[in-house]
Amino acid sequence: MTFDLITEDGRLWAVRYEGAEDNALDAVFNQWNDVLWLREFFKANIDDLVSYFKITDVNDAIYDTIEDSDKLECLILDISPDADLDKLFRPLENSRIDEKLLSKEKARIHNRPHHASWLRIYAIKLEPGKYIITGGAIKLTATMQEREHTLRELQNMEKVRQFLIANNVIDEDAFQDYLKEL
Amino acid sequence: MSNVVSRLQQYQSPTPSRWRENAERRQANKNWLRYSQSIAMKMLDKMEELHLSQTQLADKMGCSQQYISKVLRGQENLSIETIAKIESALSIQILC
Repeated sequence: MTFDLITEDGRLWAVRYEGAEDNALDAVFNQWNDVLWLREFFKANIDDLVSYFKITDVNDAIYDTIEDSDKLECLILDISPDADLDKLFRPLENSRIDEKLLSKEKARIHNRPHHASWLRIYAIKLEPGKYIITGGAIKLTATMQEREHTLRELQNMEKVRQFLIANNVIDEDAFQDYLKEL
Repeated sequence: MSNVVSRLQQYQSPTPSRWRENAERRQANKNWLRYSQSIAMKMLDKMEELHLSQTQLADKMGCSQQYISKVLRGQENLSIETIAKIESALSIQILC
C-alpha cells in the first residue's frame, strides 16, 4: 500500500491500496455519487434501511446519501491550515477516552435533518492532528461487526495500522514520549 | 515537519491522486449532476418495472451498453436529444 497527501501540510493522508486506481477517499466519494452503485447497495440492505431508519424508498436513501456526501466532501476540501482535525475525526468507539497507539477514528456529519447520517469516513490517527483515511462506508447498523461491508472497513483499518507499525512509520517509543508530554 | 510525516513520505504513491480534481469537478458541476442523478433514478425505476436490461435499453436507443451504464450512474451531462431518446425508449416524461 502507498499513501496520498490530502492536505499539503501533511496532516491528512489517504491510503491507496494495492491494485486500486486511486486512494480510498476518492473511491468512497465516487461510490457515494454513483446512482447505480447506491441503488444496488440499498436494495441489498433494504431491511437495515427500514428497521434502523424507517426509510422504505431506495430513491430517498440515494438522495440523502448524495446530499450528505456533498457536505462531507466540502468539509474535507475546505480544511484550512489552522483547522483542528481532532474535531473532524472522533474515536471509532464512542466510549473510548484513553489514548491508543494508531487509534481507529471516524468522521461524519452531524445535525442532518430527518435522520442521522449513515456516511462514515474511517481513519487511523498518526499523532494528534494527523490522520490517514483508510476508507468509508454506509453504516446502517448499530455496530460495524454486523455487516460484511463495515467489517471489511474494520479489517482495512487494522491492516493499515499493522503496515505502519511493521514499517516503523510510528513506533512505541515515540508514542510513549507523546504520552509523557500530555 | 514531524518524524512521522517524513517517514510516511517514504511510502507516498508514485503517481498523483485525482481525488481533489474529482471532488472539485463534482462541486463545480453540482447543479446539472443532481438532474443527471435524478434522471438515472427515474430510468432505473422504469427499467425494473419493464424488466429491461441495460443492453436492451441500449438497443432501443441505438447506443452502447457502456454509455447506458454511464447514464445510469448519474454522471453524464445529457443533451436534449438524449433525454428525448430516453423518454421515448422508456415511455417516461423527464422534461415537462
